Amino acid sequence: MKNDPVDVLIIGAGASGAAIAWSLLETRMRILCLEQGPHLADKDFPSRRDDYELARFAEFSCDPNVRGLPQDYPINADHSCITPVNFNAVGGSTINFLGHWPRMKPSDFKTRSLDGVAEDWPVDYETLAPFYDMNDQTTGVSGLGGNPAYPDYKPPLPPIPIGTLGRTLAKGFNDMGWHWWPSDVSILSQDDNGRQKCVNAGTCDLGCAAGAKGGTNFTYWPMLENAGVELRTHARVREILVDPATGFATGVLYHGSDGQVHEQKAELVVVACNGVGTPRLLLNSTSSAFPDGLVNRSGMVGKNLMFHPLTGVAGVFDEPMKGHEGPMACAILSQEFYETDPNRDFVRGYGLHSGRSTTPMTYALGGYGIDAPIPWGAEHREIMDGVYPYLAGLTVVSEDLPEEHNRVTLDPDLTDSDGIPAPKIAYRMGENTRRMLRHGEERAAEVLLAAGAKRVLGKGDDAVWWRAGWHQMGTCRMGNDPETSVVNGWGRSHDVKNLFIVDGSIFVTAGAVNPTSTIQALALYIGDCIKTNIETLFD
Amino acid sequence: MWTKDQTTLLAAILDLIIPASADGRVPGAGQLGVAGFLPKATPYAPDPVGAAKTVMAFVQAREDFAELDSDEKVEVLKLAEAAAPEAFATLVRLTYMGYYSRPNTRPLFGVGAHPVHPLGYEVLRESEDVLAELTAPVRERGPIYRDPTKKSAL
Repeated sequence: MKNDPVDVLIIGAGASGAAIAWSLLETRMRILCLEQGPHLADKDFPSRRDDYELARFAEFSCDPNVRGLPQDYPINADHSCITPVNFNAVGGSTINFLGHWPRMKPSDFKTRSLDGVAEDWPVDYETLAPFYDMNDQTTGVSGLGGNPAYPDYKPPLPPIPIGTLGRTLAKGFNDMGWHWWPSDVSILSQDDNGRQKCVNAGTCDLGCAAGAKGGTNFTYWPMLENAGVELRTHARVREILVDPATGFATGVLYHGSDGQVHEQKAELVVVACNGVGTPRLLLNSTSSAFPDGLVNRSGMVGKNLMFHPLTGVAGVFDEPMKGHEGPMACAILSQEFYETDPNRDFVRGYGLHSGRSTTPMTYALGGYGIDAPIPWGAEHREIMDGVYPYLAGLTVVSEDLPEEHNRVTLDPDLTDSDGIPAPKIAYRMGENTRRMLRHGEERAAEVLLAAGAKRVLGKGDDAVWWRAGWHQMGTCRMGNDPETSVVNGWGRSHDVKNLFIVDGSIFVTAGAVNPTSTIQALALYIGDCIKTNIETLFD
Repeated sequence: MWTKDQTTLLAAILDLIIPASADGRVPGAGQLGVAGFLPKATPYAPDPVGAAKTVMAFVQAREDFAELDSDEKVEVLKLAEAAAPEAFATLVRLTYMGYYSRPNTRPLFGVGAHPVHPLGYEVLRESEDVLAELTAPVRERGPIYRDPTKKSAL
């Protein structure tokens, strides 16, 4: 294993690590990416097996605590109502994400100015718009242009089918006079750039064996590896090293595939480990200069953890909705209640996402990401025969405001298979979010009935989905003030000038949309800033 | 793995957990042989056989179980659930997994028997005209996002 110094060392081969590597390609710097997981072949994805659904509850679970694979790190979520979920491999969580691709909106970047909550971002929508476009092109995004919920833009590919379920719900939204639009998705509606279009298998979470979903294993990484970017798998970074004399990062210590600890030197270190993995790594990188964790002079590393708390409402219709046909999460999206309305009892807002009904086993076990099996006995028979095929659901995806007590720390006892301390999550949902979810459940029920549902099934309690921690944001937030933020407006840490962070941890607010599109646009923007400022990068 | 008597008893229990449909079109879990899945279910539960045996032991204590009618058997099983909730929940969960992971059960609920890749499902994309008609009311309202550069901001 050669550990010659490199120009750029990227930690993590997921959404943001791949995007910034691509942005920096043209600099001709030597780029190395260390990824703790393996390079999975798409032929090995479970959706090619007869019993594909079983994988969802074992080696392909979204929950690392369920998977328990050597490349995973356990997460202590005993003090949280939501547990973080992820995937560790080349592609990161884009291996098993659902490909929903909405952008954040202009107001999301200005919540302090507009609504008096959280903080404004040091960048705005207009600045990121060209990077959203660039990323959509590379990723292969399908959707319908002209969505009145956004400034004008057009996804490069036509929308995927919204299907029986989407058309049915759309009519309900129209009856209510509410906004809806075919979802933007990083899923190919037609063959593109050597990749096959979506076959509507409905198992996006099990790795897309067609290559239609825009995971970076299918989009950026093939290009990057062809261009000479080195990708070292089964390489788990333990600690980022800093020279106490210069205050600059010098590289990392990592556990290699040979089981040994190696030092890798680098001129520039980019952290791309997501909103839980990044603070974990920084908090584990202590030194005399940074006794409380690297780049943590503000004390903000790990704080302000935001998720998107979710709940769901389903309608039972007269006709089969064929919810298992088509991408799992994406048909249509309503942003009628996204922006702040002073007449409501909460600030900011939420989206109503149409969710498809998954496959029979997953439904019987409670639904995707939920451990609440449906009843056994005669009632089971009635539900599976008379309800399951006729379901169309709406998921309420709420904005989560940053609160310092929601945080990632290091667990004093729990470790991963290399003995590195595991992250510990402390998270409780704010009252604003609770009100938002309640409002969303009520509106979802109304629109389902308007769409023709003969009855509506809610959860009937205040709990949110346990495995809803896909979107991990805010734990190393951006900002212009080094006292209250970890990185500046282009991802460079305030405390160590050759250390950048590019993943969801740098989000200042969460919006109420799936963040990957914004994570990658931001990574491309940061890459662009690095190139623009290359002469004075470390000043 | 299971003795003949255990197989008979377990099949009866599994048929109560997922019963057959009244018309016989959809088989019950016992009838389908889900008992054979349980010893292989260690990736999904730490001790699947142990959970099944705990429930079976409770049911066996009712010596006339086999002679009971269906409703009475359900009552016995409910008592087992109350007495050993963890084992019972594990058995229920694994029964669902064993039952629905069989390709031949999926078509009974409208889902293809085949592995979903590479064939997937044929779903036609809506034409531009259909989408234009469906989205017309939404477009007619005009922009609904807040523009932070404008004072009114909506």
